[in-house]
Amino acid sequence: MPIIETRDLRKVFRSVKRTPGALGALRTLFTREHVERVAVEGVSMSLEAGELVGYIGPNGAGKSTTIKMMTGILTPTSGEIHVAGLVPHLERRRNARNIGVVFGQRSQLYWDLPLVESFELLRAIYNVPRERYRANLAEFTEILEMGDFMTTPVRQLSLGQRMRGDFAAAMMHDPRIVYLDEPTIGLDVLAKEAIRTFIARVNAERGTTVILTTHDLADVERLCRRIVLIDSGRIIFDGAIDVIKEQYGTHRTLVVELASDEPAFAVDGAELESRVGNVVRLRFDRKLVKAEQLIRRVAERYSVNDVRIEEPDLESIIRRIYVEGYTKPITSSL
Amino acid sequence: MRLGAALEPYVEFARKAFAREATYRVEVFTNLGSLVLRVYLLRQLWVALCAQNAAPAGIPLHAMITYATVALLMSLVLEIDGTRAIREKVREGTIATDLMKPIVLPFYFFSDGFGQTLFGALLIVPALALALFLVRIDVPSPATLAAFALSFAIGYCVNFFLNFLMNTVAFWTMETFAIQLMIRWASDLLGGQILPLDFFPGVLGKIVENLPFAAIYSTPLRIYIGELPPAAWPAALLSQASWLALFAIVGSVVWRAAERRVVAQGG
Repeated sequence: MPIIETRDLRKVFRSVKRTPGALGALRTLFTREHVERVAVEGVSMSLEAGELVGYIGPNGAGKSTTIKMMTGILTPTSGEIHVAGLVPHLERRRNARNIGVVFGQRSQLYWDLPLVESFELLRAIYNVPRERYRANLAEFTEILEMGDFMTTPVRQLSLGQRMRGDFAAAMMHDPRIVYLDEPTIGLDVLAKEAIRTFIARVNAERGTTVILTTHDLADVERLCRRIVLIDSGRIIFDGAIDVIKEQYGTHRTLVVELASDEPAFAVDGAELESRVGNVVRLRFDRKLVKAEQLIRRVAERYSVNDVRIEEPDLESIIRRIYVEGYTKPITSSL
Repeated sequence: MRLGAALEPYVEFARKAFAREATYRVEVFTNLGSLVLRVYLLRQLWVALCAQNAAPAGIPLHAMITYATVALLMSLVLEIDGTRAIREKVREGTIATDLMKPIVLPFYFFSDGFGQTLFGALLIVPALALALFLVRIDVPSPATLAAFALSFAIGYCVNFFLNFLMNTVAFWTMETFAIQLMIRWASDLLGGQILPLDFFPGVLGKIVENLPFAAIYSTPLRIYIGELPPAAWPAALLSQASWLALFAIVGSVVWRAAERRVVAQGG
């Protein structure tokens, strides 16, 4: 049985239409014109316990709205939603015990108090048994290397330290599901890596189900096997990263370093992408031409120092899908 | 769920609020200094006023000074508004994170405010000692003190719900400051913090005594200075309790509507 399941989930926001200006403000008092905005349009997805899924989409695509409905702080306009057997918006407080949440942009830690006191507060909020709390605290302190700043007031922590604190805070009550919203935003390389390692470990060792929302696709590439792609409130892809790469990332780039200056460089079957000095970048579709053929063609006509093939990363694929649109919504099994 | 487990978060909220207040220790001492000065000035004021009229509104000078001093000390606790955080949380959108926790938010605000209150109350003890030394206020019988304490506790809760209601309005409109200021002034004046309500003439006095604001300052103070005899206590406490019940009901209805609004509109 899936731990999270939504069927035709829909959310429409209604707001009073405002007319600009002082007279307009007066008018809005008397006329009730409403504007409707569809944030989520028929989202159906299903997650098994222990999955680590990347939930991706451009700004305003409906990611946060979906997550809010899963946490129970937003009521769907229509459709069904079940999280660990509960309907979140009907049983918000019970649902809250099953979930942990990390927002990269805002902290749930007590600003004025030492970090450890926020953890104690969370222990009380979730009634975590003391033994369990001590074990979790010890483990998280070690993995996230929080020992040095455990007694520092949160307001004095660096962003990286604060985020590590927030992760520990979200996991202190052993939630079955964690929602991570932009968890690595603004972090340096080392802090990002520490957070990613933590997410991977929690998922692998504790079997925690993770939904990761991020614009940093390196996070997704490093952590997730499955992604759900949403645009304008609709799911446009749900499946393995390998599949989307296979289907969409058919373009490769052949980078050739020429031994001599060749003013008029051209090869059949590839498109000249750029040229800097003697380094030429050729873009080709591996379904139309094999890399081996292409290299042979280049080598027959020119003298070459070095060649290498670049595969598109997830980021460039997703960027193309945002721009060009996904040709047809497909769902592939893992 | 066991009661202990259910209460655990709220006890911890109060403790953390207390600890948070304690991080600003310097403020306590400056507050104490200004407080002693205010107690002394109030006494001088009433001495000067009573020089013209020995017992204005029928209250003798010593009772008047007692009233003013105790009212000032009560304000140390009653002016703490734990629900002010609602407005900030709504404005910054952090209320969403709080709603993702398995807690009843109004209880959270109450415990947080109570923790702050306990710390504020610490200030009352030295202030009271200094006030006794400086202006010699009346100390009533233990029974009167007990009735005062009970009445004060109910008044504290009425005050909480009044603040709670005012701050919950933030869910609909952020521009509540002017309204809040007006209600704050009204509750100070009409509640008897600045002057005993006996000073209001005729019909006005009758009206003011029957407003909910009287339940905050006036009733406990009138018990303290002995204006209300023991026979009148039950009725006075009952009237306070009725206001409390009414405010609690209105408060929870408004809060539910506010929560629904967040849940429907996403904040």
